[in-house]
Amino acid sequence: MAISLFVFLIGMVAFYFMLRQQVDQNINLELKKREISLTKEFDAAHSSAKQTVNLSDTIIITPIFQPRPLEQYSDTLLFNQETNQYELYRQLGFVKTIQNHDYYIQVFKPLEETDRLIIRIVILMNLLIIMIIVTLIIVNRHSSRQDWKVFYDTITKIRNYDVNSHEHFSLQHSDIKEFDDLNRVLVSMTERIKSDYLNLKEYIENASHEIQTPLAIINSKMELLLQSGDMKEKQYKTVADAYEASNRLSRLNKTLILLAKIENRQFPESKPVNPSIMINHQLESLEDLIHAKKIKVTKQMDNEITVPMNPYLAEILLVNLIKNALRHNITGGELKIELTKESLRIANSGPELQFHPEILFKRFHTSSTSPESLGLGLSIVEKICTMYGFKVSYSYQNSMHVMQVDFYKA
Amino acid sequence: MKILIVEDEKPLSDSMVEYLAEEGHMCEAVYNYFDAVEKIGMYQYDCIVVDINLPDGNGLDLIRLIKKQSITLGIIIISALNSLENRIEGLEIGADHYLTKPFHLAELMAHLKSINRRISYGGNNQIIVNEIRLIPDEHKAFVHEQEIILTKKEYELLLFFISNKNRVITKAGLAEYLWGDYMDLADSYDFIYTHIKNLRRKLLKKGCEDYIKTIYGLGYKFELS
Repeated sequence: MAISLFVFLIGMVAFYFMLRQQVDQNINLELKKREISLTKEFDAAHSSAKQTVNLSDTIIITPIFQPRPLEQYSDTLLFNQETNQYELYRQLGFVKTIQNHDYYIQVFKPLEETDRLIIRIVILMNLLIIMIIVTLIIVNRHSSRQDWKVFYDTITKIRNYDVNSHEHFSLQHSDIKEFDDLNRVLVSMTERIKSDYLNLKEYIENASHEIQTPLAIINSKMELLLQSGDMKEKQYKTVADAYEASNRLSRLNKTLILLAKIENRQFPESKPVNPSIMINHQLESLEDLIHAKKIKVTKQMDNEITVPMNPYLAEILLVNLIKNALRHNITGGELKIELTKESLRIANSGPELQFHPEILFKRFHTSSTSPESLGLGLSIVEKICTMYGFKVSYSYQNSMHVMQVDFYKA
Repeated sequence: MKILIVEDEKPLSDSMVEYLAEEGHMCEAVYNYFDAVEKIGMYQYDCIVVDINLPDGNGLDLIRLIKKQSITLGIIIISALNSLENRIEGLEIGADHYLTKPFHLAELMAHLKSINRRISYGGNNQIIVNEIRLIPDEHKAFVHEQEIILTKKEYELLLFFISNKNRVITKAGLAEYLWGDYMDLADSYDFIYTHIKNLRRKLLKKGCEDYIKTIYGLGYKFELS
């Protein structure tokens, strides 16, 4: 607003000076003409030649009788002897009575100079208007880009908004009231959503923690009950089933607490972890099962690689991947582990998935064949990967399930 | 072994006392920090089982206090909080084990036995159960004085059985003891089955009596008649 006012002001001043110059030029031109005609008059007076008439001062007086023409203005062409061509003149005709005679008097004024002046003024004005418009467009575009920048920044931030993120959500200040209002509303909305979400999360976490103690009591009581030998087989079975169920609940609860902790980034300390050492260690502890299933293990690992991670989470990640690869393996199948600087690939034999691979990482997705499975293993894997910015992906190649963890996002 | 149990949940405390007492341990239970401090001042214990969150204090402070008096005393932490910091802090100030609630009594027992071995025999202890002899520090096992070669897990399994002899050991308890928390234990039962099958085969081959009984649908029992 201030800028456009400024442009107008500049334009007006410029217009004044340019107009001034044009008028001066015009007057100069006319003065020059007067000089020429005056010189000619002097020459004529001295040479007593036929007196030339200055057309600009031309007056034609014609006696008239009847009827009386009205007083009127009109355009007319007159021959200019100086330039030897017809020129446009404005004339005024009127009737004057002199000594009882009516005379029709015509006075002329050349239009050419004024015409030229008008054309120049029009051109000048147009130039000025164009200039102002162009300046305004440029200024506008620039300032609107500035304003939209805030708007687009807002859109990007909303698009990337993650209720789980621990960064503070803030938006840029805008000069446009509407945008500023929008941003304010959005910030207060996200804050409300976030606080609701955190409350809910806290509630779930507290509930999970509070469940631990009663579960411990239930489990211990049942364990004691199982030790007492004086139960009938049917009762035994009942207690055993109940015990199994409460155990399942305990495991589920522990795992959910772990997931919540990963989400809350409660594993901040990280140090260089050597995955190959951990993998070898895990394979060792699982060797009995590998033998039992007659699985052929091939490893291609760069032993020098370290990844900055929380050692505890690194172990959980690797254990879950390896166990997953063993569980879904076939008897006499293969387990291939490749570790490079960029990625870890764990592949195992097995029939193709009967469902969309994307739901692999969903919580509580289990292949119905193993009822003891909680279906949380891979979602733990995904959570840990997300936390460290790793990319985990699944593919099926050469009748092998391949789990790939890329350590650094491309 | 004289054991002090510091746990504010009485039913849980009772369960522990009952389970451990059957093995002939002297168990005493207190339900708050204040009483625990008092008991520690008055009596000598071999081992203390302590909950971190007590109504009037922190179990970790209790451990610091105990460690000032006796270095050899065994300490097992039980906590509903499974935070790594707590775990590390607990182990750093001298706890032997950290169990997260809910835990298995059999697991607690196994840890207590290992503490018992540490404090009663020092370095050169061995466990003798009829024809079986175990040397825990060297991870060696003998049947009729013939060494049997066990994998690490098989060895741990045998030790766990012997620690909880004549008790019903649930599969879940075994799985958690062998592989810890947080594993998706889906096929751990298969793992256990495999391990037990191998262990039993190895024992029988050397002429050991078949002590490991399967309890259908529930688990196993190391039965010494």
